[in-house]
Amino acid sequence: MSEAIEAEQTFADKFPEEARIVRAALLGSFLALTLGAIFGIIQTLHRTGVFRGLIDSTDYYTSLTAHGVFLALSFTTFFLVGLFTWAVVRSLDRPLLNTKITWTWYGLMAAGMTMTGVSILAGFVDSIDMSADVLFTFYAPLQAHPMFYAGLAVFIVGSWIAGADYFRTWLAWKRENPDERIPLQTFMVLTTMAMWYIASSAVAASVLIFLLPWSLGLIDQVNPTLTRTLFWFFGHPVVYFWLMPAYLLWYTVLPKLAGGRLFSDPLARVVFVLFLLLSTPVGIHHQYLDPGIAEGFKFISMTNTMFLLLPSLLTAFTVVASVEYGARQRGGSGLLGWLTDLPWRDPAFTGMMLAGLMFAAGGFSGMVNAGMNINYMIHNTIWVPGHFHLTVGTAVALTFMAATYWLWPQITNKPIYSRTIGLVQVVVWFIGMALMSNAMHAQGILGVPRRTAEPEYSGFDYPTMFGGFEELNIQIAIGGTLLFVSTVLFIGNLVLTMGNPKVSGLGDPIPSALSGPDDSPKVLDNLRLWVGIALTLVVLAYALPLAAIIQRGGLLGPGVGTYPVWLAPLLDALANAAATLLGGIADASASLAEVVG
Amino acid sequence: MGQNETAHAPTDDVSGETEEFDPIGTLTLIAIYFVILVLSWVYIYYIEFLGRDLVVVG
Amino acid sequence: MFLLGSVTYGAVGPGVAMVSDTEPTVDAGALDEDERFSEPRVEQVGEDEYAAYVVARQFGFQPDPIVVPANSTVTFYVTSADVIHGFEVAGTNANTMVVPGEVSEITVETDEPAEYGLICNEYCGAGHHVMEGKVNVVSQAEFESSGGDGE
Repeated sequence: MSEAIEAEQTFADKFPEEARIVRAALLGSFLALTLGAIFGIIQTLHRTGVFRGLIDSTDYYTSLTAHGVFLALSFTTFFLVGLFTWAVVRSLDRPLLNTKITWTWYGLMAAGMTMTGVSILAGFVDSIDMSADVLFTFYAPLQAHPMFYAGLAVFIVGSWIAGADYFRTWLAWKRENPDERIPLQTFMVLTTMAMWYIASSAVAASVLIFLLPWSLGLIDQVNPTLTRTLFWFFGHPVVYFWLMPAYLLWYTVLPKLAGGRLFSDPLARVVFVLFLLLSTPVGIHHQYLDPGIAEGFKFISMTNTMFLLLPSLLTAFTVVASVEYGARQRGGSGLLGWLTDLPWRDPAFTGMMLAGLMFAAGGFSGMVNAGMNINYMIHNTIWVPGHFHLTVGTAVALTFMAATYWLWPQITNKPIYSRTIGLVQVVVWFIGMALMSNAMHAQGILGVPRRTAEPEYSGFDYPTMFGGFEELNIQIAIGGTLLFVSTVLFIGNLVLTMGNPKVSGLGDPIPSALSGPDDSPKVLDNLRLWVGIALTLVVLAYALPLAAIIQRGGLLGPGVGTYPVWLAPLLDALANAAATLLGGIADASASLAEVVG
Repeated sequence: MGQNETAHAPTDDVSGETEEFDPIGTLTLIAIYFVILVLSWVYIYYIEFLGRDLVVVG
Repeated sequence: MFLLGSVTYGAVGPGVAMVSDTEPTVDAGALDEDERFSEPRVEQVGEDEYAAYVVARQFGFQPDPIVVPANSTVTFYVTSADVIHGFEVAGTNANTMVVPGEVSEITVETDEPAEYGLICNEYCGAGHHVMEGKVNVVSQAEFESSGGDGE
């Protein structure tokens, strides 16, 4: 228990096998980041009309699917499992039970994501009769190749085993330390994974019961409202699944980087419990404008959503207070003067702080999204991706990248190649996102839709507000380019870091909280209780809407076709549509002629 | 237990180096954020949203 | 929290109604046999009250343009013949999802004559970006002289 000796040891020194797993997960995550960023820059330039030479507009949606799946699912989740493995082992101070199991889930997740990724990317190659241009929401009755759904299922099963791995390791620790409180980081991991089990059960059901059999031709049709509702049952908590590892870093690593320690361990526990309880019974707020769902259900969902602001506000308070404590330890003074006494030259610190600042801005647009009727104004406009590029695209992604500057040496014993490049990288990301996201919000208010290859239309012009449509397009293009440059700097810096020789003395332990776990009520650690309440809330929020949807449309839908984007050659679809439209126009002009005549 | 936050910090570990910590700067920052939030909400809801054409009434 | 709660629920005050489950389901594959959607149109249903029956399909809207009279109450009944679409009168609050098998009902009050763009704001296939239409709010006189069927 000699602190002096332990303080010098890194995670890689103490747990070399676990460090290898963490590295593998992080590298998988950064591979996805690289791919996602390439599609990101292609899309930014295409949609804004700056450069449309690289892909056809019909292939834009292949690119958009890849961007969404690689970044929102792959980059985030692989980083998460890497970080969680580190956090569990570090905070329990014991190795995993059986690393064979660990490598099994890693392999499953990698294989699943590869299957899904291949089915998407095949969409670029005309000679392969496979595609999955369904975007990361895969709303039926648009249909992807079966491999897309199968890959997702394998990926999710892998993540379930990862969760079991953490729970088993914790239980083993508990047997060895029966009277101890759950260490904070492990507590965060366990509550997050419990939420993940609840949330992902719905998408797993949707994929395995409906979408996969349907894509294989075993059933003729599905109920689009049902699969869409099951998706959002999963789709909202998944944003907290992305956010929780960022919160873990803000709570446990950021205060340390600021030169202090966490302000309050009990508050942190309360926040994670609240997320476990409230993340799931809110998904219908993505469906405010859906027909076939009663207004009352939407209202309940809004109420739950507003409660969900509470843990984020608690986080803002606890994290900023911990940073302030650090600044005052470093000699900071004054009401706000302490802000100048923080380690702004440290890319890990600055990156996380900028990410937190962006998250505060995202809080506002999130409030607007959560408002039920104001949804008419911004639903499915580019405001929405403007919002989530602040939250997952910056609060999460920038925190992950910034944390890597601190974490990577701990798991490799290699110092970062250049902290200066790291600092430039996080600042460039911030500036790029400020430009891009702000312009996306503004365009959204003009009514510019999201998810489209060519947002300009022949029949009308957008009104002008804070700058016109064209100026905002330029801002988006510049912002997107800066984000790409930032990603290249990050990946480049990391690759050069891998070439560095191993050194010793990089160990950087995390201090305990100012107000420790013993100050919190023991009931906070009663995971069974919280999972039970979470399940009850989910049943309350979803049983009636799901029953109503099934009663209205039937389990397999009220007479809806199948639109396999992977079988029907594109041109046929377009030709049919054109014929239908022309027919419509012909009918219309005929009836007009009748009237006029 | 340097790497483990279950390590029970002796009570004088904290009180020895600082008096009661009062996060006044944090509260100031959050108050400023709230003011911005409310002003933005009033603008976006009452001016942008309700000021538009084709308000949905049913 | 009290602040946020009052801000948000205060917003419910102006009485903006939501798209809901008021309409029964339809068979998306047999819209041509449906009384309302076999001929997408605008028709008068009361004094200053109109109903617009709109079909969204890959990749357009019918009728196109949707012609409605100024200073009236218009209820849009929108359904899809194939996949999920969006129905967004650009720059206004008239915006809803369009789900096959379901009918989205939204009622709006029109003001002065104006021409609006109508766009699909949910990805619906490779030609999604060409899916557009028009909503033309015309004077009562013009509406009646055009036969009042919105085409």
